[in-house]
Amino acid sequence: MPPSVCTAKASYKKLPGVLELTDTHLQWAQDGKGPSVRVPLRDVAALFCSKEGAAQVRLKVSLVEDDTGHSFAFTSPKAHNEREKFKAELTLIVSRNRAATEAAARAPATANPPPVMKPVTAAPQMPAASQAPSRAVSVSSADQRNLTIIPGNDPATDVRLRKTILMSHPELGALHRELVAMSGQLTEAEFWEGREYLLLSLAASENQDKGKPGQIVDPRPETVDGETKIVMTPQMIHEIFEEYPVIATAHRENVPSKLAESEFWTRYFKSKLYHAHRASIRSTAAQHVVQDDPILDKYLEKIDDELEPRRQRTEPVEVFVNLGATSEDHGETGNEKDVTMIAGRQRGALPLIRKFNEHSERLLNSALGSTPAAKRQKLNADGDYGQIDIDDLHEPESSTGIVLEMLDRQRYYEGGISNSTSGSEALRPVDIKTLIRHAKVNLADWETNLTQLKIERKPSDAALLSMTQNVAARLDVKARKNDIPDTLFRQMTICQSATNEFLRQFWTSVYPPSAELQVVAAATPAQREAKAAKMIGYLSKTQEKADALVYMGPQHNVDPVRIETAMKPVINAVNRAIAFHQSKTSKPAPRR
Amino acid sequence: MKFAIDDLPIIFPYDRIYPEQYAYMCDLKRALDARGHCVLEMPSGTGKTVSLLSLIVSYQQFYPTPRKLIYCSRTVPEIEKALAELKRLVAYRIECAETEETKEKERRFMGLGLTSRKNLCIHPEVSKEKKGKVVDARCRDLTNAATCEAGRANPGSVELCDWHENLGNMEPGSLLPPGVWTLADVLQHGRDNGVCPYFTVRRMMPFVDVIIYSFHYLLDPKVAEQVSKELSKDAIVVFDEAHNIDNVCIESLSIDLTRPMLDSAGRSITKLGEQIEEIKTKDSAKLQEEYVRLVNGLKDPSEDDAEDTFMSNPLLPVDLLNEAVPGNIRKAEHFVAFLKRFVEYLKTRMRVLHVVAETPLSFLQHLKDITYIERRPLRFCAERLQSLIRTLELNRLDEYSALQKVASFATLVSTYEKGFLLILEPFETDNASVPNPVFHFTCLDPSLAIQPVFERFSSVVITSGTISPLDMYPKMLQFTPVVQETYPMTLTRNAFLPLVITRGSDQVAISSRFEVRNDPAVVRNFGSILVEYSKIVPDGIVAFFPSYLYMESIVAAWNDMGILNEVWKHKLIFVETPDANETSIALENYRRACDNGRGAVLLSVARGKVSEGIDFDHNYGRAVIMFGVPYQYTESRILKARLEYLRDAYRIRESEFLGFDAMRNAAQCVGRVLRGKTDWGLMVFADKRFARADKRAKLPRWINQYITETASNLSTDMALTLSKLFMRQISQNPEENLTGISLWTLDDVLQAQAKQKALAAEAKQAEEEDEYGNGDFTDQMLVDLDI
Repeated sequence: MPPSVCTAKASYKKLPGVLELTDTHLQWAQDGKGPSVRVPLRDVAALFCSKEGAAQVRLKVSLVEDDTGHSFAFTSPKAHNEREKFKAELTLIVSRNRAATEAAARAPATANPPPVMKPVTAAPQMPAASQAPSRAVSVSSADQRNLTIIPGNDPATDVRLRKTILMSHPELGALHRELVAMSGQLTEAEFWEGREYLLLSLAASENQDKGKPGQIVDPRPETVDGETKIVMTPQMIHEIFEEYPVIATAHRENVPSKLAESEFWTRYFKSKLYHAHRASIRSTAAQHVVQDDPILDKYLEKIDDELEPRRQRTEPVEVFVNLGATSEDHGETGNEKDVTMIAGRQRGALPLIRKFNEHSERLLNSALGSTPAAKRQKLNADGDYGQIDIDDLHEPESSTGIVLEMLDRQRYYEGGISNSTSGSEALRPVDIKTLIRHAKVNLADWETNLTQLKIERKPSDAALLSMTQNVAARLDVKARKNDIPDTLFRQMTICQSATNEFLRQFWTSVYPPSAELQVVAAATPAQREAKAAKMIGYLSKTQEKADALVYMGPQHNVDPVRIETAMKPVINAVNRAIAFHQSKTSKPAPRR
Repeated sequence: MKFAIDDLPIIFPYDRIYPEQYAYMCDLKRALDARGHCVLEMPSGTGKTVSLLSLIVSYQQFYPTPRKLIYCSRTVPEIEKALAELKRLVAYRIECAETEETKEKERRFMGLGLTSRKNLCIHPEVSKEKKGKVVDARCRDLTNAATCEAGRANPGSVELCDWHENLGNMEPGSLLPPGVWTLADVLQHGRDNGVCPYFTVRRMMPFVDVIIYSFHYLLDPKVAEQVSKELSKDAIVVFDEAHNIDNVCIESLSIDLTRPMLDSAGRSITKLGEQIEEIKTKDSAKLQEEYVRLVNGLKDPSEDDAEDTFMSNPLLPVDLLNEAVPGNIRKAEHFVAFLKRFVEYLKTRMRVLHVVAETPLSFLQHLKDITYIERRPLRFCAERLQSLIRTLELNRLDEYSALQKVASFATLVSTYEKGFLLILEPFETDNASVPNPVFHFTCLDPSLAIQPVFERFSSVVITSGTISPLDMYPKMLQFTPVVQETYPMTLTRNAFLPLVITRGSDQVAISSRFEVRNDPAVVRNFGSILVEYSKIVPDGIVAFFPSYLYMESIVAAWNDMGILNEVWKHKLIFVETPDANETSIALENYRRACDNGRGAVLLSVARGKVSEGIDFDHNYGRAVIMFGVPYQYTESRILKARLEYLRDAYRIRESEFLGFDAMRNAAQCVGRVLRGKTDWGLMVFADKRFARADKRAKLPRWINQYITETASNLSTDMALTLSKLFMRQISQNPEENLTGISLWTLDDVLQAQAKQKALAAEAKQAEEEDEYGNGDFTDQMLVDLDI
């Protein structure tokens, strides 16, 4: 099976399915069926995308022999990202193909793009079925409990999320391979239990629309070999049109009827229009050297540097930010402000400032859609009070909390009572005067006391010695670090992390479930008990494993004691868990 | 939460209370009981408004003779917020009321907010006008007494406002059902019932328990006479967000005249003359009638309809004269000639090409020498003009606004001898060559405008998040407070981190000092602060500049240096513009960007439109950067005159006032980031001058107490490290136990009260013992002694 480069849900001829890009082919399969469209990559000739912000996210592939090609529409919620991924991959392929055909035209003999010829199974496959972990997925899907961890997501997406996480966390991936895929000691669901937050956060970050980058398009001239050039990309042109609709109009009306595309842009960058749009302080100086341009000067607008904006906005503004209401609240009074405080005196900056505000608004609207006027007038969802409320002054909603389970609770409280009775004398109000007097008595003759202070030789020597030893020991440790051979060390790590995972599973099955993550259908007490027992089974083997490691020590020229020390904390933790389990399972019996 | 302070039961609309709020209420009650004035500074964002309203409403509802509350705020958003706060409070009180009787009493409680016609008009055509002045004028044309009379007598002959007419059919005093109405509510009510919201509020004002409007409605005599005249003496007056109250006072008595204004006034005078000629032929009895009335004195109650007054005397009611108008301006045509002469005189003065500064007395002397205009008729100018315009039944009064200004100027200049200065500036800037003369009539003494308020009302509360140093205000406004208090902020963890950045990462000192502010190194360093913070701070960042001029030039410079391109990578950029509506839309988008998670930077100006009244709490402002110290422009002649006056009259040094003024504005800007104690934010002061101890000492205590010695002199990179550390810590779960320390439950309040009582008792006892004791050991101590 060729590993898939990327997959995505996409519809083809209005049928839902999965689009997949492998090393050799671009293929599409209708849901639940085999691939019905298979395009060898070397046949891909060109690539077309729907515009950003269009209703459908489409990708069209045209082939060498067949110009009509195939058109796919991406359907998943993050269609845009997926399309970009495909686009990036396919662009490479297309350029490679083009280079190859060109080369072929030049020298047909060498034109032999090495296609990776591999038999491809036509069987329906899950998008990620080629990966080892996902095999385990299909195994564990027999286990009826929740494969889908995030409500509303279909299993395929879920699998993809998990795969992404495992790939981006190598350690977790290794652990998963070890426990779930290889040994099958844990089921997939068990493995992910308690790790839902990883999936949730990944899903959340993937579903987040990133929005357009904020920078304002500002083609700046570059000087190359003494020649001033402005490099334009289609993206830039698109942004310029969006930013300055007037240029779009000019372009539409003049290209190609009166001006050629490149000529249009050359003229534009020399025109007053361009300098008016740059709207920087520098460009006002340049305004005088710019020549007239009979075509483009028609599109010059009045510069937006009046105190009131050129485009008056009449929509009502939310009351709590309505500055106009304040300025109209009473007639103007007083002397005029001093020169520094009169807004808009720096005329050159005003168009710039307006451009910033408009650009920001446009970006926001492209992401959020413009606010309808009706909604704007309403203050906010929670009525007038949301903005004036001080939330920490409200009574916090009380949480139930977990009852502390203690051995011999009764005795603890009794102890407390008896303690308090004995301590009540100490708690009697302290008379400060007496205290001071005592302190004074104690402090009397402190000088003589100090001179009489003698330090015994023996204990101080001992203290110094122990300190030296301590330092020496540390130095020693530092000096011979990392001398455990790699293979052994890795085995030790694996043993540790696997044990930790078992421990985690065990304790989560023992402790009450957390209230926050309710996405997983809560397991019944019986299931939990069974799981705890299973984990204890695994855990009890830890000692053997550790012993085996210790035994292996001499083979690798490592002091077994060191391995033992290294494994000690894990063993301790395991023993503790086992002890706890035993006490818990054996406890109900005597009570009965 | 219900508790009692002394014998006054308080209902507080939250389950918990901050200790600051409790202390604030106690002090406020003390001041109200003493019927005196007070100055209270409470940390921003600790629920000042709600504590204030909660106490005062409890006070009003508990005592048998309710005192009306006049609550003044600076901006319409703040007014609306206060109204919403009050509405919620009253709803909570209704909910808490135990018996049906008290419930009914709470339901009858009434609170309203007042703003201009422009903001409250729902007439389909008039409300479309952009300028408030035009809305006022057109509204008057449709609603004044004469028009109404004509329209009612002969329907269809003149255009009337239906919304206003509908109001006339209703029972006065019950135009609105009782309750608290926000401005939005009143507008909606007006639309639903076809009544005019503006006049609904105006006419309901005598019947409400709480009225909320802006400072100007009480301080500006031109407005105050119209709307605040009937308020009773025992009302409680609150100036919230009062840190700039001295400026409002000064503004309300200052006037600027320019040449275009004088030209326009001249045209209006000519028009008035024509009108008089016309009316003489048609209806000369009217003018005669007016003449007789003027002989009898200005005050005539018959015409005292709120709808009619289009302008009023810029003086205060106290100064209103009940005497006859001087003979030489009683006749309409004489008055017009008088005005003409005065305007001509002013025009001549404007031809001078050098700066002139003179006192009102010297101006009057010169005026008399040249034109023989006496002081006394000048004083009546405003009133006389009003009377004339009413007699002539003129329409579209906005066209006469320049003339009104001249008349107000005449009245003011002839009334006050002290505390004012006239400055004629022939050129806008020092290096301008084309004259554009402005005649500034500037008030230097803020106490003049507020004095009547202090005299008339028994309790005036001046409060804000930033009015340090506290003793400055009583000094400037000339009053004696009975309570004067500032509260530190109790926090279990530092919810905000003030940082002073004195130099960039390249160790170049940064400052907005005039000499270096345009130095590329400084500009770049300021820019890199913004870039770096936009990288690390989530959601919203607000940056304040000391002036519009500086902001506009630095934005352009940053753009050319490519600094803003770096910012664009991380956040959207919004900038305050000269147009208020445009800025509001930018602000709205800024908030959307913060809510959405995209994050944004807002560039604005200290003392500008945005810095007043807009909150940047929670995600709307995770960091505030103050670029430079927001000093006033010291070259301004008006400021110089004011400083001189402050020094001579109140012994306030120039540098002290400038420093105080800059720091209160800086504090005001950074204080907007917090609301509640779980909210958090960074406060970055980027200027080396902030490192100086005397500057920082002028910050409010609640900010200053959290500036550590290390954080007071940082370079950009050090500040970033500290900021990152702070954000990492503050983003931890705040579920630690705040209660008892920075958050009190009812028990804590009771405990505190018990403790206070015990302390008081002890103090009393100590006092008593002092009388008998020998000052050494008390009996109790001897008993306790354990030998």
